[in-house]
Amino acid sequence: MPGIDECLLQAMVVPGARGASVVDWTSGLALGTVGEAPGGDHEATAAETAELARMAAEYPSFATDETPAPDGTKGLPVEDLIVTTRTGYHVVRFVETTFDSSVFLHLWLDRDTGNLALARLRLADLAERLILG
Amino acid sequence: MTAAATPVSPMLVRLAEERATGVLVRDHGALYLADGHVVHAESPAAPGLDVLLTAGGQLAPEGWQEAVASAGARREVARFLVDSGQVTGGALEICHLGALHDAAFFTLAPGSGPTRFRYGVAHWIGTVRPVPAAAVVREARRRRGLLDSVWPHPEVDTAPLRRRAPGHGATATRRQRALLELADGVRTPSAIARAVGRPAFNTLIEVRRMAAAGLVETPSEPAAPTPAPLPDWVAGFPADPDIALLRRLRDALEASL
Repeated sequence: MPGIDECLLQAMVVPGARGASVVDWTSGLALGTVGEAPGGDHEATAAETAELARMAAEYPSFATDETPAPDGTKGLPVEDLIVTTRTGYHVVRFVETTFDSSVFLHLWLDRDTGNLALARLRLADLAERLILG
Repeated sequence: MTAAATPVSPMLVRLAEERATGVLVRDHGALYLADGHVVHAESPAAPGLDVLLTAGGQLAPEGWQEAVASAGARREVARFLVDSGQVTGGALEICHLGALHDAAFFTLAPGSGPTRFRYGVAHWIGTVRPVPAAAVVREARRRRGLLDSVWPHPEVDTAPLRRRAPGHGATATRRQRALLELADGVRTPSAIARAVGRPAFNTLIEVRRMAAAGLVETPSEPAAPTPAPLPDWVAGFPADPDIALLRRLRDALEASL
């Protein structure tokens, strides 16, 4: 059955991908990881990224947009979070679920070989397929 | 990484090393091992996978009952849910891992009585996504540290949740508001977790954050510990695992009547 592992393996196919994970941002739990982690420790990276994601997802400045999209769908208020560093990109995509959850997909990219726009689109697609199958 | 010298860890590490299959039972829950990996966990303090899946309407309660009835005896309930198209593999893994680490957190609580292990017992949920035993121990320890770093007052975990009068300046987040709406001074965080279909630990961490922000009260007296007892079918170590399944089915049927 396709699940977390397949989703992560497909994330690693994105050009420039160095590491990927599925994380619960309330608890900081890494549900699944693949490839490298910035400090060599996936669990520590998950806990730190979770803190950042929680603030983006919950602080009123970002999470107030309750307006339905033009096609009538009402998705998550915050879709993704992008951090650029001197040597890399981090793309965090929030996963929308039909059950109560707080999950995101995190992709770490090499700055030279990664393409931020492409990575963001691919990650959005993967996040949707992780839940819808 | 090695596990810390908490009383349960050496036993779990040894069981993992010998690739044991069976169930580890403590006062607050049970861990199911297969080939040394943790494949499932249950605790009266943590909502089960059925609650997480059905509370938000992802799965109809009838769908869960049908899966247990059809595939429980051959221990493939998880596979049945996915194969019958009721839950996707990804959604099931996310919910199951959440439930597993949640129940493991309570099961591995320091100083919660004796630890027993019965070899050969498998859980009827089947295999979803096995987790190395060392990772489960490490995560439980991290969670304990995280709770105390947010607000070092464990008494808020078990006391009925009470809102504080507004006017302290702090605003509840979207996910905290869902918990506050159920804070009637009677329901405990554990009961609220069950009602909203969220892991108990995720509820506790929000409760500690709200207590730290002054949104809910922190009881001055430590709440009397009233650990929910394990069901007899786990604590009693039934000789035949199928009897455990039948009892579980009976309980589920009675609960649904």
